[in-house]
Amino acid sequence: MQSHRIVSADEWTKARKAFLAKEKEFTQARDRLSAERRALPWVKVDKAYVFDTPQGKKTLAELFDGRSQLIVYHFMLGPGWEEGCQSCSYLADHFDGATIHLAQRDVTFLAVSRAPLAKIEAFKRRMGWKFPWVSSSGNDFNFDFHVSFKEDEVGKNVEYNYERQEIDSDEMPGASVFYKDETGAVFHTYSAYARGLDILVGAYNFLDLTPKGRDEDQLPWTMAWVRHHDKYEDSKHTSTCCGSEA
Amino acid sequence: MQHEIVSREEWTAARKVHLMKEKELTRLRDKLSAERRALPWVKIDKTYVFNTPNGKRTLADLFEGRSQLIVQHFMFGPDWDAGCSGCSFSADHIEGALVHLEHRDVSFVRISRAPLAKLEAYRKRMGWRGRWASSFDSDFNYDFHVSFTPEQAAQGKVYYNYEVRDFQSEELSGLSVFYKNAKGDVFHTYSTFGRGDELVDTSYMLLDLTPLGRNETGPNYNLADWVRRHDEYGGSAGSAA
Repeated sequence: MQSHRIVSADEWTKARKAFLAKEKEFTQARDRLSAERRALPWVKVDKAYVFDTPQGKKTLAELFDGRSQLIVYHFMLGPGWEEGCQSCSYLADHFDGATIHLAQRDVTFLAVSRAPLAKIEAFKRRMGWKFPWVSSSGNDFNFDFHVSFKEDEVGKNVEYNYERQEIDSDEMPGASVFYKDETGAVFHTYSAYARGLDILVGAYNFLDLTPKGRDEDQLPWTMAWVRHHDKYEDSKHTSTCCGSEA
Repeated sequence: MQHEIVSREEWTAARKVHLMKEKELTRLRDKLSAERRALPWVKIDKTYVFNTPNGKRTLADLFEGRSQLIVQHFMFGPDWDAGCSGCSFSADHIEGALVHLEHRDVSFVRISRAPLAKLEAYRKRMGWRGRWASSFDSDFNYDFHVSFTPEQAAQGKVYYNYEVRDFQSEELSGLSVFYKNAKGDVFHTYSTFGRGDELVDTSYMLLDLTPLGRNETGPNYNLADWVRRHDEYGGSAGSAA
């Protein structure tokens, strides 16, 4: 790292307070945006989507599991893929800590992929995840929500993240939110794609607090450093609860 | 819940307008992160020594060979029987991030004033692997404004989150970041308190995408309204551990 400006505690506090005012503005702007998001209109979901789950076939309405809100993470794991996408796996490492808390706020969280259930289950076991994950292999769900594309659409302009853009994979990431009312009707309330998912990555939000930040400027693409958590070269040496001296 | 229901076309039009605002906020966040990295640092001249499962360790030792250290100031006072539930909520989200942080030159440690045996017992109960050190014998928590003396409590006013405010608790929460250079000098680069660390709580980021949102309607109007330790929610399926 280049040498950095070192100051007295008093000077540091002065600079920090000025920056805190900006951080608070950001927090308030984010609160306002969340309120605006909640005020967006909804679309009624009329199509009957049926998913393969470890408990058998389930409709979208059944996936709510007794709660009124459902968050779906569109996990990139295509029918012919050997393993789930690395970047989605990086996001997914943050899910297990959240699901139990979300359940207390009337939210069921799950992942959906187009791969057959057996593949999903095997990959989930390998990664040691507990969040529910179902297969949309028999339905149009992924296509309708613009996260899966026909093979001949790869490299072409398609609708992704609310604009026409060229995609380089037949699976793309996203998150969608649904609401179920007392009559059982299901509504699509929200979907986010691409960097709209960025704020869900706790590790990124931690890195944003550090001197080196995400440190991705020299990399071929932003998440080029990310591996499946069991595939980092020194995975067997990562610190345990007791720590290890380097 | 009564809500406006529209056609797919109308929905997409509204969503696109909102997307513009979301992109603006993402760029603002990037800009703030860059400004944060440009903030000056303070050299740490005091030698802080912590009790860890591997014996006594200095602040410099806690970097474990990496150049950056994030400390979670975890509220767990010497006389407490369990760690704070809000800090435990945060900790549940940190676990999955650890392996990735370690590959971006970041070590992570929780620091609390409770004795090590209590920290270890609670860590086991919660099923966390993240390291935890006790600052019981050092001034660390007081110097970083997350623990308060009985005298400060008696005065009723304490310095927290860069301002003087009413005393709430002998322990409060936060995150602090340190940098160690090639010579082994340690610098304090950043600390954040209050709502300053909520972005790392993925549950909150997900709730902010939902129709009901955080739905914190009192009496505290914060996570104390609903957050419990993950093994204390009655009757819920599954465990975060």
